[in-house]
Amino acid sequence: MGLGLLASRTLLRSGKIQPGNFTSLLRRCIVSTTELQNAEAAQAQAQPDTDLPKRSPVGGARVHFPNPEDAIEVFVDGYPVKIPKGMTVLQACEIAGVDIPRFCYHSRLSIAGNCRMCLVEVEKSPKPVASCAMPALPGMKIKTDTPIAKKAREGVMEFLLMNHPLDCPICDQGGECDLQDQSMAFGSDRGRFTETKRSVVDKNLGPLVKTVMTRCIQCTRCVRFATEIAGVQDLGMLGRGSGEEIGTYVERLMTSELSGNVIDICPVGALTSKPFAFKARNWELKGTETIDVTDAVGSNIRIDSRGPEVMRIVPRLNEDINEEWISDKTRFFYDGLKRQRLNDPMIRGPDGRFKAVSWRDALAVVAEVIHQVKPDEIVGVAGKLSDAESMMALKDFLNKMGSNNVWCEGNGPNPNADIRSGYIMNTSISGLEKADVFLLVGTQPRVEAAMVNARIRKTVRATQAKVGYVGPATDLNYDHEHLGTGPQILKEIAEGRHPFSSTLTNAKNPCIIVGAGVFERNDKDAIFSVVETIAGRAKVVRPDWNGLNVLLLNAAQAAALDLGLIPDSGKKIESSKFIYLMGADDVNLEKVPEDAFVVYQGHHGDRGVYRANVIFPASAFSEKEGTYVNTEGCVQTTVPAVPTVGDARDDWKIIRALSEVAGACLPYDSLSAIRSRMRTVAPNLLNIDERQPATFSYSLKPESHQETGTVPFGTVVENFYMTDSITRASKVMAQCRTLLLKI
Amino acid sequence: MAHWMKNLKVQPNSTSLEEARKRTFEFFRLACRSIPSIMEIYNLQDVVSPSQLRSTVASQIRKNSHVTNPKVIDMLLFKGMEELKNFVDHAKQRHHIIGQYVVGRKGLVQDLGPKDEGISNFLKNFYNSKYS
Repeated sequence: MGLGLLASRTLLRSGKIQPGNFTSLLRRCIVSTTELQNAEAAQAQAQPDTDLPKRSPVGGARVHFPNPEDAIEVFVDGYPVKIPKGMTVLQACEIAGVDIPRFCYHSRLSIAGNCRMCLVEVEKSPKPVASCAMPALPGMKIKTDTPIAKKAREGVMEFLLMNHPLDCPICDQGGECDLQDQSMAFGSDRGRFTETKRSVVDKNLGPLVKTVMTRCIQCTRCVRFATEIAGVQDLGMLGRGSGEEIGTYVERLMTSELSGNVIDICPVGALTSKPFAFKARNWELKGTETIDVTDAVGSNIRIDSRGPEVMRIVPRLNEDINEEWISDKTRFFYDGLKRQRLNDPMIRGPDGRFKAVSWRDALAVVAEVIHQVKPDEIVGVAGKLSDAESMMALKDFLNKMGSNNVWCEGNGPNPNADIRSGYIMNTSISGLEKADVFLLVGTQPRVEAAMVNARIRKTVRATQAKVGYVGPATDLNYDHEHLGTGPQILKEIAEGRHPFSSTLTNAKNPCIIVGAGVFERNDKDAIFSVVETIAGRAKVVRPDWNGLNVLLLNAAQAAALDLGLIPDSGKKIESSKFIYLMGADDVNLEKVPEDAFVVYQGHHGDRGVYRANVIFPASAFSEKEGTYVNTEGCVQTTVPAVPTVGDARDDWKIIRALSEVAGACLPYDSLSAIRSRMRTVAPNLLNIDERQPATFSYSLKPESHQETGTVPFGTVVENFYMTDSITRASKVMAQCRTLLLKI
Repeated sequence: MAHWMKNLKVQPNSTSLEEARKRTFEFFRLACRSIPSIMEIYNLQDVVSPSQLRSTVASQIRKNSHVTNPKVIDMLLFKGMEELKNFVDHAKQRHHIIGQYVVGRKGLVQDLGPKDEGISNFLKNFYNSKYS
């Protein structure tokens, strides 16, 4: 029985209140445990335990000591831990295996210390301290489980819930809400608040983020994310006291390409996903850990599905690739997986209309046509989203038919597949953080690979690294020097006539990033040799540091070059009679001759379908198991999350079946068999989740005698939100395109 | 047609294989006699012909031709009679009879003709389903 209750009884006995008021008074008395009511007395009773069980850090985290002599020892609940100097009390507690409740603290953002949920008791300190903002001092005795700390949390919870609506049943965050969980764990069992709750006008942040601002607890995580990580000054705090709210000052949308991440970092349901609003509850979803294929980064994602439908996509932690963020395209393109899908094999009739046929008939037609053309008139193009298995099968099949005209779109007319360091990001994405000078050549990383751009921004913010940029005027969200637009500037830097060349030579870890858009240029070899001259002058490639990078555009590119999908000549499409488009939609189809027979194999009715004679429906990346290599050379696989639509089949199976019908049977009929075939071509493709660095540097490359042109570098990705067949089919991406790219 | 079925009872066990055999033929004739009314109940005129249904029934019986235990035959006959009664009583729906006895278990693709000879297992599975 609590003291409050006792007190009210005494009052009742002394006759000071009327019995009629008794029940209402009882309800107003907060009943809590005796220890909480009498914190000091209970503290005196608590004896420090001598033999504590060994605890492991929260989430299996490991401690990294930059200087071993700087280690200090603190005691968390009597248990001694060694931590590096400069860590906060909260981090020390995490290493000791104690999870401190928090709302405003986020390990990747700056410390605000305004939610006060992480209060802990520190010996000899007069008040509980906010552990997220308090640096740990040697010998500090931290107590996380004492009545004072518990009471402090209970009080903070009560204040937070005072103005938080009780709309959990209709809140999209319900079930994965930090406030919900922590009020269950640390909150009081009743509230004392009887006045009306405040309400805040909802803000319109665009087509992606839904706001219910009344739910906001002013942790300012989203404000800090926008300014620090996304690099847009869109969000801020307005007002003071109970009038305090998060907003955009004036009515405007949030125009960052990373804006969707505020949904994940919001601890309550104030910022939720607009396309996902009221669609599903998180406990009815099945999570599948897979990777993203809309750009060459290969962000780690989790596809949440319900039955045959992809309901949402959320990021997965991978420190080496995407940390814990993903771009808006990755997060919201999934509704494209439901639209414009090809679900039956189809043949174009004489009237120009497609007719659905059986697989047997479709394969027979294609097999007949492929035997009527000369081997060198057969051309195969793999699309941006192709997995390594299907590209291997396509190349093997066309080689069996006597043709070697097979390539992957985006790799240009004469790609260099001989030296692997010439097409991957040698520094690795996490390695970019060590660089101190960047030179971006013909690439706009913000639209080509948003996660790589976030890494560069992180580096620029942390170390004031200098960024030089050669290319068309663009909006990079960090300080950069726009050196020029054309290859002439590169020549000046290479010859040391440009001020930036001394910046590069004086740098400790210089880093050059060449965009994959350069692959499509005629003077590609010349540009690469100029870049290599710059690299040689500035010692960009050393045994301990390789700063010469290529930033690829598409998920399939690196694997295609690893597997050697290179055409005999770049002009084959004009003289072809049989074209096999494996998900290739961005080939210039106007160059295809009138009498050519075009087979389109893919999952979306996109550009390639308009010219196709036969359609083979294939499964999308969310429905198959496929190997992809990202721009840094890290091999990852997709995992099927939902069943395939209609009568579609996996890409490599279609080619395997076609090869048998055409009488040139491929010698593998299972995924493991095709992977062992891949091992003979590119053994690195079997080392899943491992980054395979290139062995040889560019110095082995034969010298190019090409002259650089004067054509300035172009914009490669015009429309960040719609780059491939899935994103072009997505309604949300179309909305983003009209509302957010207002240029 | 249904009058004989109203007082359907579990018959005593067949004493010999001969008797079981006789009962099997009786069951087959009964099924054949009820086919016209089944065709009418389930509107099967444009889907299947009586002779096709007869051969389906015959093949269902032949499927168990290896059974020699009279007790097992009695049990199978009882189950067959139960199924037939369900159809005659309109206890089933049209898709049940179409799915089980018209289209059959092989699915809609039944043209396993001579053109499929000599193809690999992979291709057979590829034609049959997307999960293989």
